Amino acid sequence: MVRPSRIAALLLAAALAGGVTAAAAGDLILTGAKPDRLFVIDAASRSVKSEFRIAGANGQVGTIVPSPDGRIAYVLVNRMESIVGIDLADGHAMFRADLSTPGERVKALFAFTVTPDGKELIAYEVPTKLLPSEYQVEEPRFAVFKTSGGLKAKAVRQYPAQRRLHMLLMRPSGKSFYALGFDLYEYDVQTGKLLGTRGIQKWQLPAHSQPDLLAFWPVTEPSGVFTSPLYSEAQQGAAAAPMTALMSLDVASGALDYRDFEPLSALIFSTVLSPDRKTAYGVYSTLTKVDVEGRKLAARVPLDHTFYSVNVASDGQEIYIGGAMCDVGFYDAASLEKRAMLKLPGCADQSVASLRVIRTH
Amino acid sequence: MPIRSVMTRLALCMLALPAAAGAAAAQPGAALVRTWCSGCHHEAKPGHFERISVIRKTPEGWVMTLFRMRQVHHLVLTDEVHDALVRYLADTQGLAPSEAAPARFALERRPNAQDLDLGPELGVMCGRCHSLARVALQRRDSDEWLKHMHFHVGQFSTLEYQASGRDRPWWQIASTQLPPELGKRFPFTTTAWSDWQKQPKRELAGRWIVVGHVPGGRDFYGTADITREAGGDYRARYALNEAGGAAIAGESHAIVYTGYEWRGRAALGGRAVREIFAANEDGSRIAGRWFDPEHSELGGEWTAIRADGAPQLLAVLPQALRAGTSGRVVVVGSGLGALDDAGFGAGVSATVVRREANLFEADVVVAADAVPGARALRAGAAAGQLIVFRQIDELEVRPAYGIARLGGGKLAPVAAQFEAIAATRLPGGALLSLGPVAAEWSTVSFDEEARRTSDDKYAGQMDPTGRFLPAVAGPNPTREYSGDNVGNLAVLASVKDGERTVDARSHLVVTVQRWVNPPIY
Repeated sequence: MVRPSRIAALLLAAALAGGVTAAAAGDLILTGAKPDRLFVIDAASRSVKSEFRIAGANGQVGTIVPSPDGRIAYVLVNRMESIVGIDLADGHAMFRADLSTPGERVKALFAFTVTPDGKELIAYEVPTKLLPSEYQVEEPRFAVFKTSGGLKAKAVRQYPAQRRLHMLLMRPSGKSFYALGFDLYEYDVQTGKLLGTRGIQKWQLPAHSQPDLLAFWPVTEPSGVFTSPLYSEAQQGAAAAPMTALMSLDVASGALDYRDFEPLSALIFSTVLSPDRKTAYGVYSTLTKVDVEGRKLAARVPLDHTFYSVNVASDGQEIYIGGAMCDVGFYDAASLEKRAMLKLPGCADQSVASLRVIRTH
Repeated sequence: MPIRSVMTRLALCMLALPAAAGAAAAQPGAALVRTWCSGCHHEAKPGHFERISVIRKTPEGWVMTLFRMRQVHHLVLTDEVHDALVRYLADTQGLAPSEAAPARFALERRPNAQDLDLGPELGVMCGRCHSLARVALQRRDSDEWLKHMHFHVGQFSTLEYQASGRDRPWWQIASTQLPPELGKRFPFTTTAWSDWQKQPKRELAGRWIVVGHVPGGRDFYGTADITREAGGDYRARYALNEAGGAAIAGESHAIVYTGYEWRGRAALGGRAVREIFAANEDGSRIAGRWFDPEHSELGGEWTAIRADGAPQLLAVLPQALRAGTSGRVVVVGSGLGALDDAGFGAGVSATVVRREANLFEADVVVAADAVPGARALRAGAAAGQLIVFRQIDELEVRPAYGIARLGGGKLAPVAAQFEAIAATRLPGGALLSLGPVAAEWSTVSFDEEARRTSDDKYAGQMDPTGRFLPAVAGPNPTREYSGDNVGNLAVLASVKDGERTVDARSHLVVTVQRWVNPPIY
């Protein structure tokens, strides 16, 4: 259902005070909010371009994966039991996969991805068999859907998956995808064959404890690299010091890197890597700038409140922050100064919804 | 099980709504379970229902189960049927008194209680989300504990992803190691339960002598006249007195589950009160905790013994008198003989001013040179003590670590009640507790970080009784990051004792709301 955002436009006075940068022109920001909203934000004008209502969202809007051509947003809704494809031109649902069936509850615990040709969608499925007087936990699996499958899409292929995955990242070749969980796994798109396992919990960083990583925001669009904070304790003599590291995974080359950049001094929920790959930005109650090559904290500023998700403009000049509450913030990438804050219409919580950027220029 | 059979039974689940609901509660218990539960919980053999007949729980445990059946599985039950089911299940599949004893603090909803220690593995696998008391108040065999693990992941799908869950193969541990361990620790079949089932249940009707304490307030004492109603429930009529204060009348309606679990709803001095008591195995004592139904953190102790029971001195109020002062002392108990004022020892004289079957009131004079210490006090065969002291030497704030929760909107705040417990030092050096005393209360930020964020300014305030009243919940734009009004505080108590001042402190964390508040946390 389409709802032109005239009201939203009226709410933008404060946001516009920050000025419009030519640099951000062409970026559209996608975010979701409770109970059923998908917002398309024009970054340059700091305005809500479209506000779509997703039927059957059942109170929750989570992971968002844009189609490679930027015309469709696939959104995880319905307590992670449905994935809906929304046509960003008019907001109509052109795809829907309801994962659960009457005898089986299936949740795609945050994780799904789309092939580079846009033709297939791979969902991580965590099923529970619903028997009359008991539940039976079943083994997780991947389910592959044709994006042309319509509003009652059924899986065309299924294959076994690891437990406790939380993110899928498609590789540009379209032949395989990464899955993040206890470790980093790579699977063949066609056959589901496990092609490789590399360490997350089993990382090989000397004198470091098992790290902790949990990420729901599959952002790779600025740089082709997924990044995430991860936390561990580094042995320093007899003492163990909590450290914050940046994990980076180049989804094209497969290069995987972990590097500590500071003794733990602020919680960071999610990070993004700039297009030039030199700087990472992280959010929670602060906005953090990391000098990736120098392996050090470059700058940190307090935020007005908690933000969960972060992205960066296609030209790297501006940082977008969202998630948690109902604000989307625009910050100068060089100075970390706040340029604008856009309050979403209705001020509904974005919670863990992804903050994605579509480049239209 | 064939898929078709499963589907058929799922369909039957949906249809298990008996037509004659009104008369249902009058059915015998097994028939009630058959009528209301067997649509999903198959009666595999007569009287044996899948998942139900293999579990034992407290009344609160069964209430939580039925809440889930209503809330999650859309079971439509009248309150009348609900209550009848809880009675039947708690009576026939409950816990023996000795089985419930270690975790009674959870049933009594004691604030700031220390949870059970079941070892590091269960502490993280189970105790990171709910109390281990909740685990210890259930009995199942290992195959049923395994189904319970399946329920956990099936119902709470992010469980494997949460902190202290994602660091380990949670499901693998939960589905392989935990069921046998829990089945061994908390098995369905026990001697304690079979013995308790055989034991005739004690009749609790009669006159009882009651003493209790209101944290931050006074002790009280009096009588409870308990009668059995036609339907089997109990009614208690209370005639109580605050020590040195006013009379309080009240009445309670109580159900006794499992032969000993007293659950009462009372009106006491015009206040609604919830009672979570337990009778002991020989039915000579009822004890537990009572609290405000809307604020379970606000409540107090309660002990009752039979008025015609064996000689027993239940309380001496106040429990301590200062040398060189005089005061009215109340002695309550059962089987009280003549009050032996010689028992007070040298330097203390007592004049009995009121004598009832279960109570003495005496005017007691303590000489200025009376030797400090505990004085044995006798009333016939019943013995107790009165403490004589010269000064307060030490003060302790209880609890040593308290938690309060912000509130407002959908959830009421959770207060934290502190008490100042005084002690005197005897000539030999030993400390002797004098019990709770009035104090001046305040809070300050606990440490440097709390001072930096001015926690003492935002988190709330103490009232004169030592009760901390937390501030309103929600983002506060005047705080850093629009933070909530949480705080890390030191609680300070100060008592003036003549020219001297005795101080003590404890620790209070004012934290966020707890959104899920079941009867057993």
